[in-house]
Amino acid sequence: MDIFASLAVITLAGLVHASFQLSVSVLTLLSGHAIGAQHSRRRVLSLTSSFVFGTVVITTLLLATIALVFNTLFGSQPPHVLWIVISGVMIAIGIAVWAFYYRRDRGTSLWVPRGFATFLAQRAKATKTNPEAFSLGVTSVLSELLFVIAPLLVSAAVLVTLPPLLQLVGIVLYVVVSLITLGSVWVLVGGGRSLSEIQRWREANKYFLQFAAGAALIILAVFVYTFAVIGKASL
Amino acid sequence: MTTESREIVKRGKRTSEPFQTDKLKSSIVAACLSVQAPIRQAELVAESVCHHVIAWLESRPEVTSDDVRRIAAKHLTIHHPDAAYLYEQQPVTI
Repeated sequence: MDIFASLAVITLAGLVHASFQLSVSVLTLLSGHAIGAQHSRRRVLSLTSSFVFGTVVITTLLLATIALVFNTLFGSQPPHVLWIVISGVMIAIGIAVWAFYYRRDRGTSLWVPRGFATFLAQRAKATKTNPEAFSLGVTSVLSELLFVIAPLLVSAAVLVTLPPLLQLVGIVLYVVVSLITLGSVWVLVGGGRSLSEIQRWREANKYFLQFAAGAALIILAVFVYTFAVIGKASL
Repeated sequence: MTTESREIVKRGKRTSEPFQTDKLKSSIVAACLSVQAPIRQAELVAESVCHHVIAWLESRPEVTSDDVRRIAAKHLTIHHPDAAYLYEQQPVTI
């Protein structure tokens, strides 16, 4: 895979990551409770910034850790079997996204078990300090690991094939792209946009995002399999 | 039977608890403030909604928290549709 194709795979994987909505849901609730508790705009921005920073840190750590493990195990040339496994995982998770990412209820209820969703909602309500908001951001990404593991795995596998400097570029690219939706909500809330508008948009477009995420994962799996498995075998 | 002695049945395995007007009022105020409503308007709307919910509770010894939320949202819609939408969405956001 050449450098352009590698960065394109990382970008698409980052977009898939961005389409997963648990962190956005928690940020929406956190913002609502913070504004409802009559915190100043500066305080609300500080809490939401800490939350977003938490998601950035844990996403970077997860990607770098998986890449380190791959590099330790396989060096800079991952074997065919790894690409085949990653392609399989992406297809399975893509189908799972189509099947049950959103619940068939009104609102933006996700696949998350109801007890855990209640816990996250209560934590969002109870969050008063920046470290709490930071750890809530970390928790929201870890809670969605079942789905975000697919784009993280493929990005990590692609990263180890790049030269060291481009590996850093790849990590930054993935984290920035994966932040698109969360960052947009953060900017809108910080700019004083009504939360009901944001939530209405999310509810109206949830099935499109679900379809897009599932389809993108399957397309990415086919692309990676073709390039890294069939392409190499035919050389 | 006073309104405060009404049992509110919670969702899932959480235990029931008596109806608390203040709790309902503060959640309505918070929903109104979340959509940029002024504090005084939020308090007036919350009082009006609480009044309607209490009247509705009079003939019901036990209700679920979903029932209270539904009735409160119904009356909140009259005063502030955006706040009502956000209030209804809270339990179904995650």
